[in-house]
Amino acid sequence: MEGQALTDALDGLRQEVRQWLADNAPHGWRERSSSEAAFLQIQRDWFAKLVEGGYAVPHWPAQWPGGGRSLAEQKILYEELARADTPRLLLSFMSTYHAACTLFEWASEEQQALLIPRILAGEIWCQGFSEPNAGSDLANVRTRAERVGDHYVVNGQKLWSTMGQFADKCLLLVRTSNDGPKQAGLTYLLLDLKAPGVIARPIHQIHGDEEFAELFLDNVEIPVSDRLGEEGQGWAVAQSTLSSERGLTLLELSARLRGALWRLGELIRAQGRQDDQGIVRDFGRLSAKVDATCAVADQFLANRIAGIERVGDASIVKLSYSRTLRDFTSLGIRLGGIDAQYHSPITFGGGMETGNWMADFMNSYAWTIAGGSDEVQRNIIAERLVGMPREPKSWTLKEGAA
Amino acid sequence: MTMTRAEVQDAADKAFGQSELAPDAAQSWALIAEMGWLMMGVPEELGGLGLGREATGVIHQGVGKALVPGPVLAQMLTIEALAAADDLPERDALIADAMAGEVMTASLAGGLDGADRLTCVPDADTASHVLHVTDDRVALVPAEQVSVTYREGWDKSHRLFDVVLEGPGLTLARGDAARALADRIEALRLFCLAGDSLGGAEAALAMTVAYLETRQQFDRPLALFQALKHRVADMRTQLTAADALFWSRAQQADADIIALGALKALACAVYRLVAEEAIQLHGGIGLTMEHPCHLFLKRAMLNGALGGDADHWDERTGRAALEAAA
Repeated sequence: MEGQALTDALDGLRQEVRQWLADNAPHGWRERSSSEAAFLQIQRDWFAKLVEGGYAVPHWPAQWPGGGRSLAEQKILYEELARADTPRLLLSFMSTYHAACTLFEWASEEQQALLIPRILAGEIWCQGFSEPNAGSDLANVRTRAERVGDHYVVNGQKLWSTMGQFADKCLLLVRTSNDGPKQAGLTYLLLDLKAPGVIARPIHQIHGDEEFAELFLDNVEIPVSDRLGEEGQGWAVAQSTLSSERGLTLLELSARLRGALWRLGELIRAQGRQDDQGIVRDFGRLSAKVDATCAVADQFLANRIAGIERVGDASIVKLSYSRTLRDFTSLGIRLGGIDAQYHSPITFGGGMETGNWMADFMNSYAWTIAGGSDEVQRNIIAERLVGMPREPKSWTLKEGAA
Repeated sequence: MTMTRAEVQDAADKAFGQSELAPDAAQSWALIAEMGWLMMGVPEELGGLGLGREATGVIHQGVGKALVPGPVLAQMLTIEALAAADDLPERDALIADAMAGEVMTASLAGGLDGADRLTCVPDADTASHVLHVTDDRVALVPAEQVSVTYREGWDKSHRLFDVVLEGPGLTLARGDAARALADRIEALRLFCLAGDSLGGAEAALAMTVAYLETRQQFDRPLALFQALKHRVADMRTQLTAADALFWSRAQQADADIIALGALKALACAVYRLVAEEAIQLHGGIGLTMEHPCHLFLKRAMLNGALGGDADHWDERTGRAALEAAA
């Protein structure tokens, strides 16, 4: 399709989605979701409804129900979801992006046929990459997996697993060897969190919410058939997961950011500050930055589809988003005035849509730290995209340091 | 479109990519005319190449990258106005002259106050005509009907003049048609200034990275210091995002003036950031006349002021976003 026909088709989709949302979008979910149980129920119900409507996984390949949407179609969908102020799918986000995208690339047909439909049925995944001593430095993973016959025996601890306390399955990066380069000793396993020996403990974040968990693994058995890629290939598989996080998920998030600008606009008007030149200018500058963030996410995906993605491109998208989100939520706090400084109950769940500006602002730090901190992204950009020299490897710890 | 963006890009790189920064004005003008760049936006039935906004974007990024001097943007604004003037009997001859490189200029400052005094008009002393745009009339005023005063600027890549109009000139459009044309000219001015700024930022960043890789301090190249690498990464990120927005707007034929004004404000902010960082990261040499750092900074500051500054566009963008949010 070209030109007018394409524009008409996209306008048609927008109308269709808008109508569907008018009939199906949940109302009053912020008020209702102040308890953990209520939050989980609302998330599960809304995900099921979106699956039924065919709007839950537009980024999946066409062979799966709800998949095969073009980038332009996806953007429209995400903008309309934000405009209708629907809850973001925080609970199933890892399942439909990180897990599914990694499975599409690395899982056998049998594994896919078994696991993908369960995601659509509501199975929740989390990610077990980070560890107490391996945050952004994944090569340093120490959780150990020993092969015993047809299964692995896993021991160790994982940290910062988003939604880990509610998840059914986990994308697990483990060490199977200490020989050779650190990356070459990593293996990628699919962990059933109901397996004996797994304990998930929620972590209270700075705003009091519990979005992350730590996982303790004590002699947990994982069948060899639940491995992605070969033994020792874990680093490469993990790059797929991270690249989905740094690139693909940000198409949704940046389109949702644009779709949510009205919340700031409404606040400006509610505060009677539409004639405050400083506020109006900052709002204008933010809206241009949101547009640029959307444009760079679009360009990234177009390059990926065209097969000309470079290492580091995704880092630019993530850095743009994390900084724009910080500006977005900061303006919200500014407009909230003193009221934004008083503690109010947090709507369970993160992103920039909780309706609580201070919580959203604090949550924006998750984006500048998680999935490779902004500093790690800057190193990747400077070294891989700009071509600046890498840090020298040699160093010595100060005497007496651990 | 008969040429792709990549082909125009290739031609632009060949023309100015290899030459030194801020090439000779007369030679570059001849080269620009010879390459057919002034024909790019002109419809084919008028003797042009009929290429769209993308090709224009490539050219202005190329011009900005090499800090090419001269009236290329002003000339394109005039040609855009001429192409719309379908009632003017001498139009075809004027377009042909303009495309061949006879200087016809226009104000880069913009503004629709209806005054008979124009500011920031490049090369008005050698121009055969000056474009005059107001809200209800667009006119092309011949050199005999204008008086010009040179105003020395900080940015030496532009020779800018104040122009006082002393005659009515040729009417290109009136009434509603004039308003529509004024919008188109303003949109083109903003888009091209954004392109020039992003091209300049790209070149200033490349120059800075090259310097960091060769300059040794404390027994290692500056490029090894993480504090400096992170600043380069931030510049790269902001520049890539603004560039993505530029090409996205280039493909939106219906992008309105405010969308392009927001783009221009963002592009100029990035240019200024990169130009300032270039001086800082070059150290002492960056503060001298003999090093080109200052050329980028001066053009960045001028681009920021032309066609409405960031305060102006941020405010209009904010108002439009408020309306859209209503």
